[in-house]
Amino acid sequence: MPRLTHTLCVAALCGVLSAGATFAQDMRAPTGPIEFTVGAGAGGSPDIIMRTFAQIMNDQGIVENPIVVQNRSGGGHSNAYNHVLGLPGDENTLLTLASPVFTTPIVQGTPSVIDQITPIAALVQSELLLFTTPDSDLNSLADVVAAATENPGRVRVAGGASGGNDHVLTGLIESTTGTTLTYIPHESGSAGRATFLGGNVELHFTTVSEGLELIASGSGKPLAIFSAERRTEDALSGIATATEQGVDVIYTQFWGVGAPADLDPAVAAWWADRFQQAAATEQFQAWLAENLYRSDMVTLDEAGAYFAAEQDTFREVLTRIGLAQ
Amino acid sequence: MLDQLLIGFSTALLPNNLLFIFIGVLIGQVVGALPGLGPSAGMALLLPLTFGLEPVTAIMMLAGIMYGAQYGGTLTSVLIKVPGEASGVMTAVDGNAMAREGRAGAALAISAIGSFIAGIGSVMAVAVLAPPLASFGLRFNAPEYFLLALLGILAIGSLGGSPIKSLGAALIGLMIALIGVDPLTGTPRLSFDQPILLKGIDFIPVVIGVFGVAEVLHSLERIESVKPIKTRLRDMWLTMEDWRKCRFAIIRGGFIGLFVGIMPGAGASIASLLAYLTERKFSTTPEMFGKGAIDGVASAEAANNSASHGAAIPMLSLGIPGSASTAILLAALILHGIRPGPQLMSQESVLVWGLIASMFVGNVFLLIMNLPMAPVFAALLRIPYVYLAPAILGISLVGAYAATLDMATVWMSLAFGVLGYAMIKFDVPRPPLVLALVLASLMETSLRQALLLSFGSPMIFVERPISAILLCAVVLTIVLPIMSAVRRRRRVGAKPAATGGNGAG
Repeated sequence: MPRLTHTLCVAALCGVLSAGATFAQDMRAPTGPIEFTVGAGAGGSPDIIMRTFAQIMNDQGIVENPIVVQNRSGGGHSNAYNHVLGLPGDENTLLTLASPVFTTPIVQGTPSVIDQITPIAALVQSELLLFTTPDSDLNSLADVVAAATENPGRVRVAGGASGGNDHVLTGLIESTTGTTLTYIPHESGSAGRATFLGGNVELHFTTVSEGLELIASGSGKPLAIFSAERRTEDALSGIATATEQGVDVIYTQFWGVGAPADLDPAVAAWWADRFQQAAATEQFQAWLAENLYRSDMVTLDEAGAYFAAEQDTFREVLTRIGLAQ
Repeated sequence: MLDQLLIGFSTALLPNNLLFIFIGVLIGQVVGALPGLGPSAGMALLLPLTFGLEPVTAIMMLAGIMYGAQYGGTLTSVLIKVPGEASGVMTAVDGNAMAREGRAGAALAISAIGSFIAGIGSVMAVAVLAPPLASFGLRFNAPEYFLLALLGILAIGSLGGSPIKSLGAALIGLMIALIGVDPLTGTPRLSFDQPILLKGIDFIPVVIGVFGVAEVLHSLERIESVKPIKTRLRDMWLTMEDWRKCRFAIIRGGFIGLFVGIMPGAGASIASLLAYLTERKFSTTPEMFGKGAIDGVASAEAANNSASHGAAIPMLSLGIPGSASTAILLAALILHGIRPGPQLMSQESVLVWGLIASMFVGNVFLLIMNLPMAPVFAALLRIPYVYLAPAILGISLVGAYAATLDMATVWMSLAFGVLGYAMIKFDVPRPPLVLALVLASLMETSLRQALLLSFGSPMIFVERPISAILLCAVVLTIVLPIMSAVRRRRRVGAKPAATGGNGAG
């Protein structure tokens, strides 16, 4: 059965753009096999993103070294980042950056991870959508705010992990609108989705591709998207942004990659270049389009600034909702 | 429906697909047999190798690992009493007790047959009833999960021997489970700022220590006197009596497994425990449970295989994984460019029906592989224990390392080995500890989620119909034994009721 993914050639333009970007720094390739350390279990979004990069890098000869994606899951990604923090200067290990890498140290009161590693790149972003159950009385974000104002704490959100992106976004909405919502954490995003689909709660956040499934199957009613502009796809263009609805919250979930502390800058520059090359491939752009992710890639020092800014947001929100130690 | 299934079979029976289904179930058999390296780890390892395959072939192979492991796990449970996964604990107790009486072959055979019948049955349910069963599964949520877990923990107390000792062991398991990070808030607790405790204590080092290591330690005291197990050929096979005992056990176990498998939040471990406990109520020889009950093995093994297939129902019709293994199947779909979700069954019908058909085929492969091999594997026990003991220790500790790639897990396994040894010495049953450890996180998380859902009101357990039924079952589990004890005490007058019997461990 031939698959149609290869026909989606949105990549051409992007390919030209980033192929033109060259680095002033010296670049040096590491030798030997590479481990992409992932703090999520196999099947989680960070895992899938890194496996996609690993596959493209090896398949297309962008990276000759064999790449292994190693799931060191558990402890809110701390098993993974503690492993990488213990390897200063190591050239063969990269750490996958997802929100728990930022939030777990804040929640547990341990030193920041992001301040200790060598930033390589911010790779992939996804907007988040807010859903309610199909037969709910809520029809807009304004209705949610009204309901939560009338009965503080009575509007429930089925979420993923405590301190996760949807928890942070819940906190942002609460503080922007001066309301209180009840966030119910689960073992994983999909466990939270089961609670939502079972009709046990009012609200649930999804990524764009998860949201598209809920819309197509009629099992969720979209209320808002938390981006600056609406999506352009037919099924999604009717979803108003939170800002349009008077709630000034823009929030993007992101994934990135970093290396152990004290990495040779030439190797860091090489990795940044390879990730850019991989992202420019047709294969990656097709994957991106299929999963409705974005890839606004920034690398090295720029990525460091990006991560630092995100860390500030996480710390601020987690402090406000009383989770920060 | 039928024509879709036929299309599925025509896909699954292509020579190339047959080959990969076979490779999948074979790998599943091996990773299931190695303690520590479960199906999800095996699937994650092999995931990159499937990129060159057609998506449907890749999914068939990975699914083969998933259910093949349920067959493989029986091997180490029965032969060396180290369950590879939480769903194998009951098999480790009764299956290994059978092996010590020279009936390892029968235990392995009934496991293979039970798994096969339950597996085929639940695949049929997947084929015919996936969407309605999936929406039924969604009616179970936090309150129901809490009561199911509570039911399991209470029933553990009656697993055999002294209920006080059993509940005490379960209590230790619950306490161990609290170490680490609070599952709802993510804050550390009982970790005393030790990184090793902060990660929490996983099931794997505990089960490998308490069963594998402890068993070897215990045997060291009497290594000279441990005779290799005599296995006569006629004990290797099932008797008509065995079959009569087990045929309904398999069916009951299969239904319980399917029922639990369709719930997105409960897994094969709860399925096998509930099936085992149910079977003890139905059994003509309940006193054998914990001491080598073949019907107990049959129902537990039927249930865990059935649950592992049943988990495909929420996965295929909702895009929600019911277990770590189905989460990897979903990942594989995404990596092959297929978006899982409620639309999957209609949009990718060739893939879905091919997968369903492949499960029929894979179960047939597994039965063919396991049945004739049962006596062969059982014959391994003829090796004198002096030589077997180091091998068991080696396999156990390598398994502990493989599970986390961290030496700390190995040290932890050894420490739990000492605890397990002490438990053997003091005649405290070990299964309650391990099972409570597994059930604890479900119990804690779902209780707190339930109370968040109800804004703190405990009435949520009564107001939801399924929850109310389960609550009745919990009450009966507590009240009935007390009533029968009181009645017995009255009957024998002033003489106190006897609570005899040895520990199940």
